[in-house]
Amino acid sequence: MKKVFVIFCLIITFFIIYFLQANFFSWFTIASIKPNLFIIFVLLIGLFAGKKIGVILGLLFGIYLDLLIGRTIGISGILLATIGFLGEYFDQNFSKESRLTIMLMVVGCTIAYELIGYVYHTFRLSLHFEINSFIRIVLIEALYNAILVIIIYPLMQKAGYAIENTFKVKSILTRYF
Amino acid sequence: MYKNKKTGIAGIIVTLIILILMVVITNINVSNVSKIENIASAIVMPIQNGLTYLKNKIAGNNHFFENINHLQTENEELKKKNSELEQSLREFEIIKSENETLKEYVNLKDKYKAYSTIPAYVINRSIDNYSSTIIINVGEKDGIKENMTVIADAGLVGHVISTTNHTAKVQTLVDTATAVTSTISTTKDTIIVQGTLDDSTILKATYIPTDASLLQGDSVETSGIGGIYPKGIHIGTIKEIFTTKNITDRYATVETSVDFTKLDTVLVISSNQ
Repeated sequence: MKKVFVIFCLIITFFIIYFLQANFFSWFTIASIKPNLFIIFVLLIGLFAGKKIGVILGLLFGIYLDLLIGRTIGISGILLATIGFLGEYFDQNFSKESRLTIMLMVVGCTIAYELIGYVYHTFRLSLHFEINSFIRIVLIEALYNAILVIIIYPLMQKAGYAIENTFKVKSILTRYF
Repeated sequence: MYKNKKTGIAGIIVTLIILILMVVITNINVSNVSKIENIASAIVMPIQNGLTYLKNKIAGNNHFFENINHLQTENEELKKKNSELEQSLREFEIIKSENETLKEYVNLKDKYKAYSTIPAYVINRSIDNYSSTIIINVGEKDGIKENMTVIADAGLVGHVISTTNHTAKVQTLVDTATAVTSTISTTKDTIIVQGTLDDSTILKATYIPTDASLLQGDSVETSGIGGIYPKGIHIGTIKEIFTTKNITDRYATVETSVDFTKLDTVLVISSNQ
């Protein structure tokens, strides 16, 4: 029951993030570049709730975004699901306690997400590669996401541990002699 | 990264301030520099005025403190008047904005009399950085179909790429996936304009005929070739021409006539009358 409630809260948070991204961050930009809050959000789910929830919610959120505003259905879903999957990998290999680590994870995911997305769109629609402009956009977007992580890190940690306590069962190690 | 809670909060506040500064500085318009001048003036000028006033008073006027009571009553009256005026101003602003929206519709309708159109509002915009699509508040049930042309008062906006019952997705002119065959209104040369990642107001004009003579400020409009956009809809004006070693590679930038950042009302062309 608690799990259902947490998932419900995550879905509500997704919609809040969507409205923030579509309204506030469409004018609160750095050099006309918007951040991508969905990457931070799905990475947070993957890190704290595990790959199963990360992949499922990432896929659903991505498909929903594609349906709502995208040109092709599926690519955002696949990319966000991959980020959700990577979340657990990051959790197993890196510390979630450090703000810097989370920032680097977000920067890496942002660059990978945008790069794959852009290459896919460019090939699919037979467009010209505008490498310089794309690099500028990706770097500013990654920087923007990193700055946002610095600001919302305490909130991310609190929410993250609440999610983790619900989804990840802590095994108590008994001592065998 | 931060040693205790206090420094952690301070770090967040500092980062937030840096972010706000970055947003403000990077979005500043060169033409807005006069505003900075105004701010600089606003800081100094009141003090300067006060000092001049004091200097004048001390120099030859002895009635400085005499009329304080009179001034206080006058001040109260003026405050009251001011609040009344503010109230009327607010009402006026509301009426003005309503009037502007209605005017926009009437202008649009008049300008594109030749077409049968459906008015619409922009209700959403793309959330990523390398596409430029908008959502409008009319859909299939209002008669909107795929590939219909969308225009605004200033000119071409784009075309419908998908519809739901009550909304439609429009791929704008500045989207990198949009390429429009267009003509230069003066010379009638055909070129292709397409969106770029660089700027949301600039299009790149390519496939310029080798014998075409382009001039800065030339008007660019749709050619009617391609079957989506009707002929003669204004796109923008030539901003800059870039010549290359090979004349066939030369290109130009076109400034769109529509300001996509402030786009609110549009018309969907349903058919030619």
